[in-house]
Amino acid sequence: MKLNLNWLKGYAVLYLVFLYAPIFLLPIFAFNDATVIAFPLKGFTTRWFADLTTTPALHGAVLNSLFIAISTAILSTCLGICAARAGARFSFPGKQGIIGFIMIPLVLPEIIVAVSLLVTLLQLGLSLSSWTVILGHTLICTPFSIAILNSAFATLDPSMEEAAYDLGETKWSTFRLITLPLVMPGIISSFLIAFTISLDEFIIAFFLTGAEPTLPVYLWGQLRFPAKLPIVMALGTILVAFSILLLTLAEIFRRRGIAKAGGRDTGGFL
Amino acid sequence: MTDAIVSLTDVHKYYGTYHALRGITLDIRAGEFFSLLGPSGCGKTTLLRTIAGFEDVSSGTLLLDGKDMARVAANKRPTNMVFQSYAIFPHLSVAENVGFGLRRSSMDSAAKARAVDEALEMVGLKGYGTRAAHALSGGQRQRVALARALILKPKVLLLDEPLSALDKKLREQMQNELRRLQRQVGITFILVTHDQEEALIMSDRIAVMFEGEIAQLASPQDLYRRPLTRRVGEFIGVMNVLPATVSGQEADIAGLGRAPVTPDQAPSGMPEGTAGAGIRPESMSILYDGETTTRRTASGEVVEVFYYGDMTYYDVVLPGTTKPMTISMKNVAGRPVLDRGTTARIAWDAEALVLFGDT
Amino acid sequence: MGIRLDKEARAGLTLIAPPFIFAILLLAVPLTAILMLSFFSQSYLTLDTTLTLDNYRTALTEPLYRLLMLRSLAISGCVTLATVILAFPIAYFVSFHVAPSKKSLWIFLITIPFWTSYLIRVFLWKVILGYNGVLNSSLQGLGIIDEPLTFILYNANAVVITLAHAFAPFAILPIFVALERIDRPLLEASRDLGEGTVGTFLRVTLPLAMPGVVAAALIVFIPTIGDYVTPQLVGGPSGLMIANWIQTLFLGQNNAPMGATTAVLAMLIVGVIALVFVFLNRRFLRVRR
Repeated sequence: MKLNLNWLKGYAVLYLVFLYAPIFLLPIFAFNDATVIAFPLKGFTTRWFADLTTTPALHGAVLNSLFIAISTAILSTCLGICAARAGARFSFPGKQGIIGFIMIPLVLPEIIVAVSLLVTLLQLGLSLSSWTVILGHTLICTPFSIAILNSAFATLDPSMEEAAYDLGETKWSTFRLITLPLVMPGIISSFLIAFTISLDEFIIAFFLTGAEPTLPVYLWGQLRFPAKLPIVMALGTILVAFSILLLTLAEIFRRRGIAKAGGRDTGGFL
Repeated sequence: MTDAIVSLTDVHKYYGTYHALRGITLDIRAGEFFSLLGPSGCGKTTLLRTIAGFEDVSSGTLLLDGKDMARVAANKRPTNMVFQSYAIFPHLSVAENVGFGLRRSSMDSAAKARAVDEALEMVGLKGYGTRAAHALSGGQRQRVALARALILKPKVLLLDEPLSALDKKLREQMQNELRRLQRQVGITFILVTHDQEEALIMSDRIAVMFEGEIAQLASPQDLYRRPLTRRVGEFIGVMNVLPATVSGQEADIAGLGRAPVTPDQAPSGMPEGTAGAGIRPESMSILYDGETTTRRTASGEVVEVFYYGDMTYYDVVLPGTTKPMTISMKNVAGRPVLDRGTTARIAWDAEALVLFGDT
Repeated sequence: MGIRLDKEARAGLTLIAPPFIFAILLLAVPLTAILMLSFFSQSYLTLDTTLTLDNYRTALTEPLYRLLMLRSLAISGCVTLATVILAFPIAYFVSFHVAPSKKSLWIFLITIPFWTSYLIRVFLWKVILGYNGVLNSSLQGLGIIDEPLTFILYNANAVVITLAHAFAPFAILPIFVALERIDRPLLEASRDLGEGTVGTFLRVTLPLAMPGVVAAALIVFIPTIGDYVTPQLVGGPSGLMIANWIQTLFLGQNNAPMGATTAVLAMLIVGVIALVFVFLNRRFLRVRR
């Protein structure tokens, strides 16, 4: 039993190393003073980061991606609130089917979402732009938002709302004073997760983007040029640092939410 | 009834095809402690939620303080509720919870704070105002829920199984306090419970409900002594029911023999022919060796003994019957508890019998 | 009929309407469009809208399609198997041998890499596995090998390694959740009834964790079979998969109907396999009840 546990622990550590190894390489080569990405290292430099600041196309892509990610996060969280609330609180005909249908993008390869949206948009004569990407991203992010918000709404005791209503509040002020604060951690998690997915998503953006590329689409273009690779590494370092920051924030909010409700921590995001 | 604070007339409630309330007609008097008692699924909670306004009635009328409530939503009714889960808002402090209903009142903030303090003191939580709600124990949550509901001085306080989550000792203490609180504030309390003992201890009157109907509405004593039906009798406490044949004013009871009966002992009407004769465990006693009595006697075999400390319950099979009867005896010093298998002499009173039409 | 049901149903339907309408417009309509398009045909620059089964005939007879479909299935099958087998011990370790207060930290650590830029993670594997890449240059520098290893990039192996890495956390989470749901007294009961550690694991833990394993397999399989980035970056010609071909048909060869047909077939494959998984899960759940 003791031996067994040590084996498991050793395996778990190895597994984490396997998970993190590629990511650890990012900063190493981002600060390496060579255009070829290989060992041995040549020396320390920050010029790849400096180059980032002088690439206007990159700045455009970043701003575009941020706009798309924030819009997607807002839209999918709003749609998620509607669906999760309806699912947790009301029974209505066709409930299972409707919610199942909304969740389908979760089990559909993204390439299929991408081409089918492309075909439809072109048939309708709509031109591709950031908004078409937002629509596609909202479609795939909404199921994630629903999954996160579902647990927030499902653990909400219906007596809480009834109690506030019973004490003289209206339906709307009950929602504002009781429901919203209690599901707020879920809303923030949903927002952050949708934001992260959208910021990172490539294939749908690749198909649906207009003249202005998103950050992953821009990156994809850069990967073809070997001379640009160190800059990509520098950009990657910043992106990874940024995602870790966002995820840590999401996790802190989640834990605070649990503590606030007096519950017990039972684990991860999904 | 003129002093009825809650008045229901032929109230029906359907969920789809499910008939949850089947013609409830009921008047609850101002200032009384009223209990709705029944097994789970009998409609007692639905009835309470109908009075609170969380459920609409499908048909029939509901008057609160003489006013028709058909178009009045829960937040405008002169009722407040203590929920089974207490529904203490976890993101607010104790004082914010208690003062929640005052948000829309015209009081200034100092008056509100005073009202909250008074309410907390009333339920014995003086000085708890700044505590976080989720740090409270079960009993404290219950008190906060009470203070929160009473602060608005409702005409009727509705309590949905408020003690079911507490352990036995705390439950008994809270039963006591609820009763005291009700007398102190003089507000009508309507309590939903499935615990017959709790209903008997606390209530002025009790409505026993089965399958969406009121089976009997009476004071605790009448309910216990004169249950209308065998089902009510067996639901409240223990009721031994023996097959009997009634002719005129005399009943021939299996295992006990003949005894005179009066119409008073048949609350649902004197049966003729086959009937059920009910008798409570404490209306019979076991005679010890050499003990004499002027009461009626019978004998039977002790098949099981349940020792409770203050009491002993004996299961006794009478000759000519198969189902054992339960007899309760107070344990007294110097009197041994009987063993299983002994043949016991039993004393009983004909006046204690209740007759039911159904066997 | 009760008033409450109608009222409640109306409220629920009103609330669900926005996401439902959104899904109809952006999911049902496009999927229908792609299905219709798959029965059309492309003649140079114009779309011929006469319905025909020619595309399906081509797809089912031309060896390229069969090759791509089978390769995609094989690759994502391997990835699924590898991730699930590698993930199970981790999920087991975190669920059974990590203190409850540390569990969410572990899950957090495992999930982080998943949320960092997918494109960059895939690209890093190219850097690691390449001819002059990190692995080869390190091994050569250490004198372990003389010639760079070539079997690790631009083929199906590279695709499997990269995808297995990318989707590892996806496999751990459902298994972890299933293991967490197992009542610990069940394991004590099994020990009490005379089973050893291994017997308890095989007869109690594993059967109860099966729904989690099936769910893990499903949520790794679906995105990997439709993956575009990894085969494109590290697959080389012998590692390309169905998604790359769909992209080529749509954007490269400008043959949207054929692309639509390929997409529909890919969807069918995913659908059938998903149904098999769902059926398996039902069986495990029924055993549980």
